[in-house]
Amino acid sequence: MTHPLPCWLRAVLAGLFAAGALAAAEPTPRQIIARAALTEDAAQQRALISSLLGRADDAIVPLLEAWRKDALFLHTAADGTKTPVQLTGDPDATGARVASRVDTGGPWLDASGRPVRLNPSELTAVEHNTSLRRAMKGVLDLVDLAAADPAKRLKAIQAIGLAQDAEKLPVLQGRLATDSVPAVRRALREAIALIQLKDARDEVKLAALAELRELHPLASADFLQRALQEARERQNAAVAGAARAALRAVEDHRTTVDFLGTLFRGLSLGSILLVAALGLAITFGLMRVINMAHGEMIAVGAYTTYLVQNVFGAGLTIPCFGLSVPLPGLNLSGAAYQGYFLAALPLSFLSAALVGIALERSVIQFLYRRPLESLLATWGVSLVLQQGFRLMFGANNVQVSSPSYLSGNWLINDVILGWNRVFVIGFAILIVFGMWLVLTKTPLGLLIRASMQNRTMASCMGVSTGRVNLLTFGLGSGLAGLAGAFLSQIGNVGPSLGQGYIIDSFMVVVVGGVGSIGGTILSAFGIGGVDQVLQQYLPSVAPGLGWVPGLGGFLQNLAQDAAVFGKILVLAGIILFLQWRPAGLFVIRSRGLED
Amino acid sequence: MKKLTSLLGAGALALGASLASARAAETVKVGVLHSLSGTMAISETSLRDVLLFTFDEINAKGGVLGKKIEPVVVDGASNWPLFAEKAKQLLEQDKVAVTFGCWTSVSRKSVLPVFEKNNGLLFYPVQYEGEEESQNVCYTAEAVNQQATPAVDYYLKEGKKKFYLLGSDYVYPQTTNLVLLEYLLSKGVPLANIGGGFRKDGSGKIISAGKYTPFGHTDYQQIVAEIKQFAASGDACVISTLNGDTNVPFFKEYAASGLTAETCPVVSFSISEDEFRGLPADKLVGQLGCWTYFQSINSPANKKFVADFQAWLKKSTVPGIVKEGRVTCSPMVLSYVGVYLWKAAVEKAGSFDVDQVRAAWKSGLSFEGPGGKVTTQKNMHLTKNVYIGETKADGQFKILSSFNGVYGEPWLKGKFK
Amino acid sequence: MATARLRLSEPLAITAAAVLFLGVFPFLHAQGVISTFTLGVWGKYLCYALLAISVDLLWGYTGLLSLGQALFFTLGGYMHGMYLMRMIGDLGQYKKPIPDFLVFLGWERLPAFWEPFASFPFAVAMVFAVPGVVAFLFGYLAFRSRIKGVYFSILTQALTYAASIMFFRNNLLLGGNNGFTDFKFILGHRLADPATARALYAASALALLLAFLFCRWLSRTKFGLVQQAIRDGENRVLFSGYATAHFKLFIFVVAAWIAAIGGALYTPQVGIINPSEMQADKSLEAVVWVAVGGRGTLLGPIVGAIGINALKSWATRAYPDLWLIILGTLFILVVLFLPGGIVSLPARLKALWQRFRSPRLPDPAPPAAAESASAKP
Repeated sequence: MTHPLPCWLRAVLAGLFAAGALAAAEPTPRQIIARAALTEDAAQQRALISSLLGRADDAIVPLLEAWRKDALFLHTAADGTKTPVQLTGDPDATGARVASRVDTGGPWLDASGRPVRLNPSELTAVEHNTSLRRAMKGVLDLVDLAAADPAKRLKAIQAIGLAQDAEKLPVLQGRLATDSVPAVRRALREAIALIQLKDARDEVKLAALAELRELHPLASADFLQRALQEARERQNAAVAGAARAALRAVEDHRTTVDFLGTLFRGLSLGSILLVAALGLAITFGLMRVINMAHGEMIAVGAYTTYLVQNVFGAGLTIPCFGLSVPLPGLNLSGAAYQGYFLAALPLSFLSAALVGIALERSVIQFLYRRPLESLLATWGVSLVLQQGFRLMFGANNVQVSSPSYLSGNWLINDVILGWNRVFVIGFAILIVFGMWLVLTKTPLGLLIRASMQNRTMASCMGVSTGRVNLLTFGLGSGLAGLAGAFLSQIGNVGPSLGQGYIIDSFMVVVVGGVGSIGGTILSAFGIGGVDQVLQQYLPSVAPGLGWVPGLGGFLQNLAQDAAVFGKILVLAGIILFLQWRPAGLFVIRSRGLED
Repeated sequence: MKKLTSLLGAGALALGASLASARAAETVKVGVLHSLSGTMAISETSLRDVLLFTFDEINAKGGVLGKKIEPVVVDGASNWPLFAEKAKQLLEQDKVAVTFGCWTSVSRKSVLPVFEKNNGLLFYPVQYEGEEESQNVCYTAEAVNQQATPAVDYYLKEGKKKFYLLGSDYVYPQTTNLVLLEYLLSKGVPLANIGGGFRKDGSGKIISAGKYTPFGHTDYQQIVAEIKQFAASGDACVISTLNGDTNVPFFKEYAASGLTAETCPVVSFSISEDEFRGLPADKLVGQLGCWTYFQSINSPANKKFVADFQAWLKKSTVPGIVKEGRVTCSPMVLSYVGVYLWKAAVEKAGSFDVDQVRAAWKSGLSFEGPGGKVTTQKNMHLTKNVYIGETKADGQFKILSSFNGVYGEPWLKGKFK
Repeated sequence: MATARLRLSEPLAITAAAVLFLGVFPFLHAQGVISTFTLGVWGKYLCYALLAISVDLLWGYTGLLSLGQALFFTLGGYMHGMYLMRMIGDLGQYKKPIPDFLVFLGWERLPAFWEPFASFPFAVAMVFAVPGVVAFLFGYLAFRSRIKGVYFSILTQALTYAASIMFFRNNLLLGGNNGFTDFKFILGHRLADPATARALYAASALALLLAFLFCRWLSRTKFGLVQQAIRDGENRVLFSGYATAHFKLFIFVVAAWIAAIGGALYTPQVGIINPSEMQADKSLEAVVWVAVGGRGTLLGPIVGAIGINALKSWATRAYPDLWLIILGTLFILVVLFLPGGIVSLPARLKALWQRFRSPRLPDPAPPAAAESASAKP
């Protein structure tokens, strides 16, 4: 979207205001916004809003912000006259508030001179759409240039730079002279250089290119390409050379960003795999129970998060086998509502642990000596649970919103660090540490390790192995539930949620070495890292695969589908890895023949 | 012999299921073939509901040619061979006059030979990849030029210059993206401005464009980071043909990376109001959708349709039907419209005979549906209106732009040069 | 006594079943008593029974729980499917001499590996060769490094999973998610003809009979005894000087072939083959058939495959919402309370009855199925 031509704009404005009563010398920003709110035609609306560009008026920001947030209303009188208004003051008993006119900013007085009070439900919010909001953003950007918040300034500067709007160059340069925040200064230099790239003079262009080479912003790649092409067409060797050098600097920077980004993404995927597999590392690794319903334990945790969210909110009715079970809501809002996730963490652990304990008592305790059959029976359980979720929560996925403290990101040196991802990494470290504490520093941990190493012997020593089994399985299932709470922030929550993680989880545990928590950690990060490296770099090695006889073209195309091929390679890698180390990374040595 | 009896006992179950029921003379049997269990039940159950609603609506007004519609509902169970088996059952045993059904392309492909062999008639209501024109299928679905190319037109008008193609790896996204590639090139968008990667055959010809992820993919970190770089220099947009489930992790990641509808909008062809029920709405506000119907269409016909359907749901006795929070969406309306077009064709032909109904369809019938006027075409597709909408926080779409009377063209490859 | 009588009547029962499935059913169909639809459904069940036998050969007789048998079934189906696709000729949607999905991917000529599939003998050879080679390679790697028990199960599941995401790709040039469909001819006969359907059904019944007889013979040879010994205590067999890896590899390849034959016959009868057939849960479903029917017996898998699929055909129509719950519960109950499966039920009931009649007598010897099931796998 570029800004409309001033002459065309003037014609539109002239046409609009010539006939109207507002035909004063120049309409105030308030009047223009009121006009725009009344206009039905989207293009005209945009033109009017864009005409505010560069105007300095305290009314612009609050009015446009209100519009974007649906707080700007149209009042339709009985005769059809429409008046744009805002509501101010506190609502009275009927919910009505004092109306203020958008075009004057003053209170709206009726015929008798009393302020009009309006109820929001009688009004319609003024419509807006993406392109209009973008036009508003263009206006706000310039206003934002002077904003006190550096982040706001930064965004505004970047937008101006990308638009290569030469008219705003003086404003930016003026800003550069006064602004002292380093990040903002850098953005200003980038934006100025980008705008100067369009300059006709070679020396300005060369200076801009040198600047871009030093700053190497990713956003400049396309502009540099264009400049390079232009210079080539004009056979301007100096500019072309400088553009090439700047482009190389940007590409070098991109390589670094990709590498660091891949590292972070590998770490984050590894944490997710670890969190999902830890429960399995206990039930499968320590107890040797193949729990195919592990994925459904994860889903139990995720659905618990969903329920907690609704209880903190407006409540929920669950249709359950023909009955409707109403859950009352606390109707919280703001920070208290956002806190639902913290409450959901222990609850998801508990609910999954309870389901796990029920499962252990009803099915698994009979199958400790028949691992293959525990695999089959728990698969049956997983089918039943999946269909149970469908009947209780519907076949659709359910919505789990992210609390605000999990839905932002840090941008460090152009590498995106999502808060939810950082949180998962931190959380993974935390539960690994917690588990280590439980297993090594508590009496329960001692009993668990004793029973798992030799059930019969532990039993002879007076350990109630039945209870230890129960608690261990509960612990493993609870960890799966915790994983579910986290995965609800990253993926979808639906009846088949667990199916997506079950194979990966088993792979992590098998590669790590069954029974070894340390191995599980290492293999989770290893698999996560390899997967991300493949996804990132397979497409770039694709052209190099042409030499393979007969399969060259096939492999080249396969490598382009990095998400698919990466997965296949990881699985193939695991099968081959187990050739080398059949018992996984860490082997638990045993003298038993059948172990 | 005991073994024999156990064998026969098991078999009797299947035979018992296939016993034809007595047929009453004053009704006409109509098949409903959707997945009511398995992964596709999420989407397809809604279509069964709207079909049953339509049948009741028509029956209340006297039925078709004086006969009441008697629905035969079978479950394809998201299992493609089972779809073929159930189609055979509907055509050979129940002898239905017409069948409304299928969602995925593979289920349609699976039943197609059955319909062609028995000369049956299938009404297919879900956006699809085209490249097909069977005489035994009435495609009420959106063809690629009734969804994807209008969306690109809209983007071009908005001044977008860079297009990132993203999809799930199956036939519909692959074809759509190939058509879009040709379309974008024909509009003067350079190859370098089309993101997602290309695959070429031995001679260097592009045989596939865009980024693809497998079904059920959950990790969109790398792809979103790539889009972020792609969109860094502005004027970029994403065209997504990701299917149902994978949209959630994608949009969560998208929002977490700081990309928004204002910096780089995403138009999704597989997210309708119905899918929205399971998506994080706050993450999608401002993103675009493109269909031939939106629930928010402000017309008397649509308001009546939505109100009637919701009233019908409230008093419906269909076991397991969801009554709360229901919405209407394009595939549902195209199912609804399909039933009425079939009724019109039957009444014009004066017979339920498939050949005569087909001939009536080809003669060009019109129906004022909730999404506006639709007209049948000789190539078994429909002319209809196309709308582009912007997602709102309540899971509805705000209509931004509309194209009237778009001709359904299934054969698009090689058309834009 | 009971065992002796059963054994005497066994050849008789097999003959009777063979006559019923191979003779009576097709005859009734030719007379119009049984519809082509019903015959087709039974043909499908018989193909599933072949898959079930292959699972049982590995699990029931060798103690290898493979969760990847559906892969070999599907591979067999794909190889035959490639022949059937070639036979469509230029009758597809595009009226071009190459399969539709290739036209739509922009191919003008047939890729080289598709060429020989116009020959039926070649396709049949591939039905054996491709699953055989995959099974050999995977089995060689797995058994060489002595991967067994649940590790083997999990790895076979991973193999199937990897293969399914591979086959879902369009650029593999095997039809992607849609797979192969819209078949027209087999060996010059129209697939839509009732006579062709009858012949395919009869071929399935014959293949099942042959597989059954082969496995029955195998289980009684010395080889079969070693095989069962591996199941009951592999290390002891190993210490007795047998190269157990070779035995397991052989049986793994044979089982893959049986599954592949099932798949090859399945494809023309249901009219579609696509990658969802090789997803992990399909293999698990086949294991359910065996477990419910009775593992370690040859009749069990057949009974299980036919019984559960008949139940499925009925339940997906009558109780679509509850089908998975029925299947899951049935499965849990069988694993917990009836490890020998349905076929062990008569013997169990008889034992109960005898104990009820003469409570002081010691228990009769448990039937073979229950015995093997309770052994440590």
